[in-house]
Amino acid sequence: MTLQPEDFWSFGEWLLRPESFLESALLQGIVLVVLAVLLGLIIAYLVSAVRHGPGEGFYAVARSVRDLVRSDLPGTSSRRIFALAKLAYQEALRRRVLVVVGLFVVGLLFAGWYLDPRSSDPARLYISFVLTATNYLILLLALFISTFSLPADIKNRTIYTIVTKPVRATEIVLGRMLGFVAVGTLMLVPMGIASYFFVTRGLRHDHEVVEIDEVGDGRFEGKLSFDQFHDHSFTIEPSADPDGPELGLTDTVRGHRHVVRQIRGDDGNVERYVIGEPYGALRARVPVYGSLVFTDRAGNLTDEGIDVGNEKARGGYGAAGIARLVGVTREAQRLDYGYVEGGTLGSAIYTFNGVTPRRFTDEEGIPMEMALRAFRTIKGDIVSGLNGSITLRNPDKPQIESNPLTFVVQEYDVSEERLPREIEGTDGEVTRKLSLFDDLVTDDGRLEVIIRCIDRQQYLGMTTSAVYLRPAESSFAWNLTKSYLSIWLQMVMVIAFGVMFSTFLSGPVAMVATFACVLLGFTAEQIYDIRYYMDRGESMGGGPVESLVRLLRQDSMTTELDVDQVAGKVIQGVDAVIIYSLDAVATSLPNLPRMLSTAEYAASGFDIFGALLARHAVATFGYVLLAFLIGYFFLKTREIAA
Amino acid sequence: MATEPIGLADAPTADPAASPGSDVVIETRNLSKIYRDFWGRRKVAALKSLDIEVRKGEIFGLLGPNGSGKSTTIKLILGLLFPTSGRVLVFDQDATETRKNERIGYLPEESYLYKFLTTDETLDFYGRLFDLSGAERKRRVDELVKLVGLEGARHRQLREYSKGMTRRVGLAQALINDPDLILLDEPTTGLDPLGTRDMKDLILSLRDQGKTILLCSHQLSDVQDVCDRVAILHQGELKELGRVSELLKVQDVTEVHARGLSDAAKAEISEVILRHGGTVDSIDNPTATMEELFLSIVRESERRPGARRVSVSDTASESPTAVATATGDDAASRDEGQS
Ligand SMILES: Nc1ncnc2c1ncn2[C@@H]1O[C@H](COP(=O)(O)OP(=O)(O)OP(=O)(O)O)[C@@H](O)[C@H]1O
Ligand SMILES: [Mg+2]
Repeated sequence: MTLQPEDFWSFGEWLLRPESFLESALLQGIVLVVLAVLLGLIIAYLVSAVRHGPGEGFYAVARSVRDLVRSDLPGTSSRRIFALAKLAYQEALRRRVLVVVGLFVVGLLFAGWYLDPRSSDPARLYISFVLTATNYLILLLALFISTFSLPADIKNRTIYTIVTKPVRATEIVLGRMLGFVAVGTLMLVPMGIASYFFVTRGLRHDHEVVEIDEVGDGRFEGKLSFDQFHDHSFTIEPSADPDGPELGLTDTVRGHRHVVRQIRGDDGNVERYVIGEPYGALRARVPVYGSLVFTDRAGNLTDEGIDVGNEKARGGYGAAGIARLVGVTREAQRLDYGYVEGGTLGSAIYTFNGVTPRRFTDEEGIPMEMALRAFRTIKGDIVSGLNGSITLRNPDKPQIESNPLTFVVQEYDVSEERLPREIEGTDGEVTRKLSLFDDLVTDDGRLEVIIRCIDRQQYLGMTTSAVYLRPAESSFAWNLTKSYLSIWLQMVMVIAFGVMFSTFLSGPVAMVATFACVLLGFTAEQIYDIRYYMDRGESMGGGPVESLVRLLRQDSMTTELDVDQVAGKVIQGVDAVIIYSLDAVATSLPNLPRMLSTAEYAASGFDIFGALLARHAVATFGYVLLAFLIGYFFLKTREIAA
Repeated sequence: MATEPIGLADAPTADPAASPGSDVVIETRNLSKIYRDFWGRRKVAALKSLDIEVRKGEIFGLLGPNGSGKSTTIKLILGLLFPTSGRVLVFDQDATETRKNERIGYLPEESYLYKFLTTDETLDFYGRLFDLSGAERKRRVDELVKLVGLEGARHRQLREYSKGMTRRVGLAQALINDPDLILLDEPTTGLDPLGTRDMKDLILSLRDQGKTILLCSHQLSDVQDVCDRVAILHQGELKELGRVSELLKVQDVTEVHARGLSDAAKAEISEVILRHGGTVDSIDNPTATMEELFLSIVRESERRPGARRVSVSDTASESPTAVATATGDDAASRDEGQS
């Protein structure tokens, strides 16, 4: 998993974007709410002006705004909201939505058969399977329960007995949303628990010892049986405690290892081996990322490393928000791998914050993981990896620097290193043993890690997320919970939209509208892409109309559109209008795939950042507020009995 | 709301905050309603320039054939519909004002209730909508269940109910907040004669507690029995408005009720009438209404359970209640009460 630049934003950074306020989520939210309210008022005015004349129309609209502020919001009562929420909850449960949960659990019992048993990373497979399955299922259910309820009440007129009570429109909308969220939560919790057991049980397996050799000094080497399409080899070291059990560890295969315990009988002979459960497969690594700068081959600081070509992977437009919409930043957010040339002064310098003994308690040093890329300009020995070096340096006193630790780059894999607590190094002219926390780390807990490539004419590629410290491991259960929280947030979003649409549309239409919103949210990045190419004048086959014309004429996408000038202008004009409006709509809709991507964290064994979850939560809250306002407004101005 | 809802049995509601200085509870001014379809094209002019005033403490009847705009008027008063032109004021507030609902009880045409709730749950739910406290709700639910006679069925879901039972729940929910103004859309449909009678008695007793009642019906007897004033609608237009006693009074006919007259005496009375220049339309024994007969049978059977002996010669005039000779319903029921 490679992280996008925006994934590193802290919550505050995301909300405000101090350097480029146009990208700020807060600004986007405010603009969205203001626009929606303005648009709503204008539409409402036009509608009621047609009905009642311009003067009366204005009065009607003004009154509903006045009512919201003066009586409906202050008059909103929690008891009424609760009563309405409970009703919505009971009603949804009566539609037997819980059956779906039962089906889900039963489905999980059999799902294991269909998941590729030979996968090299079964944990990832299992986790991403359950998470995506739950996610789509819950969103679908949220769509159904939220959109049909209010229209049904209006249709069979039970709403008459509600709105003739002192019930505010605010309470009807909020009550519905809360009730459905309660139903959704009730479904999500058992699904989450079932998923947890599905993953943990699904990965559980056993081996037997098939081969064992004593290699001397009380050391043993052996092999485990081939089960579940893999086997392990292991070594048992003589234990320090002569009476204690002899413990050994297998190698890591398919993301996990086993503990092998040697049990001796009373006569001191080896009796049997006990193989522990797999561990290490379900992880929630808490990475600490640093900031990255490069030096070029002459040793001068630069922001970017060397571009070896095709390394600027598209990383999505992310939260570029208003800035992208108004065309200030056109470019997609790009994820750069910068390269460092071997055998030169070129290097990548990571600066980590918050490196304190309290946080990194491990006696053996600070665990650091690297997922580096390699680029070879000469063949060399293709089997052995490239050599790199790690140097630690004090950011405030650059004269204090450790001797380089060399390592072999494992391409396509994550390699684990440890930054030892004591290391030989130089302090100006003096060569001495440096203490990691006293000499190399500054008082405020900063540390520089410099990575170089040793082999000449070979290059090492790095990006911010490629190197990180690992102070701790969070629990897998908690990480899964966080993924489910993210699903829950998406569900809340869909429910809010569903209820909003159901205040003025009939059930099926409201469902289609909500579905369209979700879909547009999911395809947002593609729409941004089309607009991006359109702005750049790069022909990618054009917009929808042009594509249709090409399709009908069986023209290739890469040729100029072969129609006369005027027709071409018209087609492109219409396309531009469609694309720009779609772009605006997609920008204003919740970016669900971003939220869906938290599943990727859990599947890759990374702790889901609190900041990321907080961002999703705030965005959800914003959209709920928006949906609430729109829903209120429509319900208020709606002639219930018409 | 300043008013604490008080029990049904309590004395007339005196709400000093309510419409100070004016007795008018509902006022419609030039009220018109045109139903339109989705595209705004007019379909039906359901109400045309209605001007009525309903005063505090009276029972006001809206009378008219099917489709004459009675329900439309009530929905406009409740703010369920918006007027096409004109205005409705309820308690001197606009009809779309939500807060006025705290003092209103509404029984819809059909009971639009949640079928999966029980009576208790339904009433508790609507009590919550009035922001009543838990203790208050419990007290009122118990009271109302007793009032509408559903004690035996209070824990059953409404979808198991008969039409009349649902109607009773509907009535109970309309009274949950001890309203000052009660709007009843055809209150007696679906009720058996006994229920109808109870309903009428209830309406009268609510009036006696100082509440204002607006009801609409096409059951003329209902209106005649309970209403103080009526408005008669036809095709959305107001045709007649006034006190029931005056509207129904036939100015040039005199009615005499007497008991124990011989045929000779009757002949002599005719003679007297003729001598004074009047005409005799008929001299007859009055027949009781079907309603009276039904009521007397039910009450009889409640006193003495078991099958009633029915003989072919049984006629209304021979049945114990048919002895009653009074014409008015009130008199009839008083009579039965004594026998
Ligand atoms: N929602 C509606 N849309 C269109 N027309 C309607 C609607 N509701 C009522 N109408 C029409 O308005 C007119 C008055 O209807 P209303 O329901 O007020 O009659 P009513 O006096 O209550 O009749 P009833 O005694 O049958 O209940 C009728 O012609 C009816 O068809
Ligand atoms: Mg009607």
